[in-house]
Amino acid sequence: MTAVLEKRPGGASVARPPARRRRRGRGRRLTILAFTAPWLIGLTLFFLYPAVATLVYSFTNFDLIDNPTFAGVKNYVFLFTSDPLLWTSIGNTVWLTVALTVGRVLFGLVAAVVLVRIKRGAGIFRTLFYLPALAPPVAASLAFVFLLNPATGPVNQFLHLFGIQGPLWFNDPAWAKPSLAVLGLWTSGTIIVIFLAALLDVPGELYEAASLDGANGWQQFRSITVPAISPVITFAVVNSIITGLQYFTEAVVAGAVASGSSYTSGSSNNLGYPSNSTLTFPMWLYEQAFHQFHMGYASAMAIVLFIVSGVFTVVLVNRMRSAGIGEEEE
Amino acid sequence: MKRRTAAVLAVLAVPLTLAGCTGVGSASSGGAQSAPAADQKVTLTVWSAFSDRELKGLGEVMDGFHKLHPNITIKNVGNQDDDKITQSIRGGTAPDVAISFSTDDIGQYCSSGAFQDLSSYISRDKVDLTQIPQASRDYTTYKGKRCAMPLLADVYGLYYNKAMFAKAGITAPPKTMDELAADAKKLTQYNSDGSIKVAGYVPTPGFYENTVQALSPQFGAQWQDSSGKSTVATSKGWQDMLTWQRSLTNAMGKDKLTQFTAKAGDEYSAANDFESGKIAMIIDGEYRTAFLKAEHPDLAYGTAPFPTFHAADYGTAYTTGTIIGIPKGASNTGAAWELVKYMSTQTKPLVQLANLLGNVPTTADALKSPDLKLPPQFDTFLTLSAGGKLQNNPPSPNGGAYIKVMEDFDLKYVTGGTNDLMGGLQQAAKQIDADNALGQ
Amino acid sequence: MAITTVRPAVPVRRRPPRDVAWNRFLAWLGLHAVAVAIAIAFIAPLVFILLTAVMTDQQALTPDLWPRVWRWDNYVAVFRAAPLLTYLGNSLLYAVLSTGLMLLSSVPVAYAMSRLRWRGRDLLFYSVIVAMLLPPQVIAIPIYVLWAHLHLTGTLWPLILPNLFGDAFSIFLMRQFLITIPQSYSDSARVDGASELQILLRVIVPMGKPGIAAAALFSFLNAWNDYFGPLLYTGENQANWTLSVALASFHSVHQVQWNLTMAATVLVMLPVIVLFFFAQKQFIEGIKFSGVKG
Repeated sequence: MTAVLEKRPGGASVARPPARRRRRGRGRRLTILAFTAPWLIGLTLFFLYPAVATLVYSFTNFDLIDNPTFAGVKNYVFLFTSDPLLWTSIGNTVWLTVALTVGRVLFGLVAAVVLVRIKRGAGIFRTLFYLPALAPPVAASLAFVFLLNPATGPVNQFLHLFGIQGPLWFNDPAWAKPSLAVLGLWTSGTIIVIFLAALLDVPGELYEAASLDGANGWQQFRSITVPAISPVITFAVVNSIITGLQYFTEAVVAGAVASGSSYTSGSSNNLGYPSNSTLTFPMWLYEQAFHQFHMGYASAMAIVLFIVSGVFTVVLVNRMRSAGIGEEEE
Repeated sequence: MKRRTAAVLAVLAVPLTLAGCTGVGSASSGGAQSAPAADQKVTLTVWSAFSDRELKGLGEVMDGFHKLHPNITIKNVGNQDDDKITQSIRGGTAPDVAISFSTDDIGQYCSSGAFQDLSSYISRDKVDLTQIPQASRDYTTYKGKRCAMPLLADVYGLYYNKAMFAKAGITAPPKTMDELAADAKKLTQYNSDGSIKVAGYVPTPGFYENTVQALSPQFGAQWQDSSGKSTVATSKGWQDMLTWQRSLTNAMGKDKLTQFTAKAGDEYSAANDFESGKIAMIIDGEYRTAFLKAEHPDLAYGTAPFPTFHAADYGTAYTTGTIIGIPKGASNTGAAWELVKYMSTQTKPLVQLANLLGNVPTTADALKSPDLKLPPQFDTFLTLSAGGKLQNNPPSPNGGAYIKVMEDFDLKYVTGGTNDLMGGLQQAAKQIDADNALGQ
Repeated sequence: MAITTVRPAVPVRRRPPRDVAWNRFLAWLGLHAVAVAIAIAFIAPLVFILLTAVMTDQQALTPDLWPRVWRWDNYVAVFRAAPLLTYLGNSLLYAVLSTGLMLLSSVPVAYAMSRLRWRGRDLLFYSVIVAMLLPPQVIAIPIYVLWAHLHLTGTLWPLILPNLFGDAFSIFLMRQFLITIPQSYSDSARVDGASELQILLRVIVPMGKPGIAAAALFSFLNAWNDYFGPLLYTGENQANWTLSVALASFHSVHQVQWNLTMAATVLVMLPVIVLFFFAQKQFIEGIKFSGVKG
């Protein structure tokens, strides 16, 4: 299947007589309506309506107890002028998005290039590389807080063997985000599998020819591999950015557990521990909306997130379009 | 085309009018409701953050109410902290009676109407509020609106390990912050690899009860002025407190302390580091006496008023307490009030509960009751309670958000994340004021 | 499509000069060294979790990595420390019902979007992609308000019921798969006079099984791993917590030690890993279809 992001050769095109099509027109339309009805309702109820309602709420004061009251652009003014934590959370989200995207894509590429060249035991290695990606995010976060515990964690014990005083990881504001990035690398199996599949689709003859021309491994990688799988890389990058903008679970759980507080995970008391260094934009939105019940303000934040993620969504959808995904296949 | 657009708009408008423009609790009305007639069967759902032993005890205390009102059955639900209570009220699934462990959110409960105003019930039933200590009366109201009743109070003091004091040659508990720091250094023991074996005191912000709420009164640090504006940048106590914490942190070893706290046992379990002899001194509430009695009866410990920064302030203590109220959306408000009244004003349940939880009773009669059975170390807290120097963090319409702002900066400054003390405090004050303005 | 089919071809074998052979050996060694290093780094965390799960609670707080006493009964104790079976039941309820409802509602949509030609199909398919990529936090507030008015907050229903109305990711995944089935199959059935529903059920579903299975698998996993949803809707009602929510607060709510926490972590990971070994092919296919092809 070389059809990585190419237009797939559509099914056999049996031209149907137009008369018959017309005859079945009404019934067909009803069938299509019936088949797509769930999504039409779902789209309206769970996407269009909430999108409109979020926009409306963003111009109100709303605490979910009393009726919303019109507040004009107050929430937006507050957002851009008076909420220092908003900028902290945006900074953290950008940091994590960039680090996770760059880290996972580069690492995924290296791992896939290594995997594709291994002949014996490739299946076992692939399984081992992919396995951690399956770990539920909560479980993985919990495990990493334990592994990176500055006092008792195996990682610092290991570093200690070499006389290295390990960092405080999740307990140090400067190291908490890098710790999350390490966790992100551990669960990058999905990207590895995607890259591996793409690499296997690169025609072997290309390498053969280059090899005969005397190109070394790096030259082959640069002039053949990268161009051949660049659509997949682009896809992985954009997709990773969109997931990065939603980063929530790992930061909430790791912060709460590392803080050692007796409050439950997700409680206001340990969100962003230590010193808000892991407070992401969606976490701050969650806190404002569902703990402080500033639902109007949180809606304004949601609109901002909507616009930012919308930009990347458009980029991705355009790529899919140019690659022929979602087009009539004829 | 036009008709289609209209149809789409109509479809969109259905959920919008169904839910979009109304609040969940907006339907309920004010005014006191009468208690159910004796033959009217009612079930009250009561939420609290208690669990296990304490939850069972609470159930037994409420059984006393059921005996007086056989028609009212009580469903006792535990493990419900403030976040959950708030969420349930907004979500429209509120219990009839809610018991909250902290007073941090009282401002939000009152100002938003999440907890119902009890004034009409109090005047109807002529409840004598003067029997409740002033501090406890204060932390259950916000801007004159009484939306909860106090249900036992917590008072904070110093706990110290007697054996460690004797070994280090310390004869009396410290009375000032300077003495506390000196003793802490003396009591701290290190392992051969340099890590902390026993900590004299852990000054890390947010560790166990070493919170900004509990510590700030000891430095005379004030949260806000009479107009409600934040004073964290102008009240000198804050600078004193953060400087003190930072200096002790650096003396004991910043990273070593972080490593120490990272392997600390859970605060409310037998693995608590003070209980298991890994910390010599802690700030904690009177309830720790009950934990110690149950979990480590052999530990030789003493209690004392917590030291203060200015010697003249000795005897100042942080107080907070458990509060009981009726959330908006409660289905049996009249019956719920009868339970709230019983629990918060009658001597019998208060004493029963105080003995169970090791908390300070919140009425004059209960405080004097001969039935109070508490360990000798508890006297410190009763004395503090009677001393008139109790302080509580002020209620805010924004709940405890302002505390989090300070705690975040405190941790950042103390662990060396910034050196700009004044700039950070001014920033914190600005943020607290801005947050309070939101949603008004 | 299997991963092992095509490999970058090795140049025609000739007997290479000695230094070339040596270089090749070095390359081989380097390659395997990297692979083994990554594999160890990936597996080590799992090993440490497993080891800690069978330590005593005192030892879990020490730097020792190898259990001095093997406490297998930790796996029993963990069920006493917390109502894990309740949480497990909730997780299963959420995951199984979501997946079932998703299949019921999304298979026909995917079918209409891949096998039938009609005006507006592309537009509707783009709506699926956009919905799939939209951060859930963007629209969480009005949806929460909606469920609050229906008095269903505090339960898992706000997370299960929307699957009645199609799940964007599943529709996308199945559509991508179903579209690869040659059109001639449906056409010949149509010539035989079969209705679209019959074609869907008798032709496309059997042929599209791998794609549908992958969608079901991911739907199940998404629900099993979901944290934001159950935290938002069942946070206040511990009786309805899923394993994810419970595990996140396990340490603080149940006041348990690290050894038991790690034992619980193992128990939460286990079903997923078992599932993977039984359905490895569907997993890999699903990832390729969602990732590479879209």
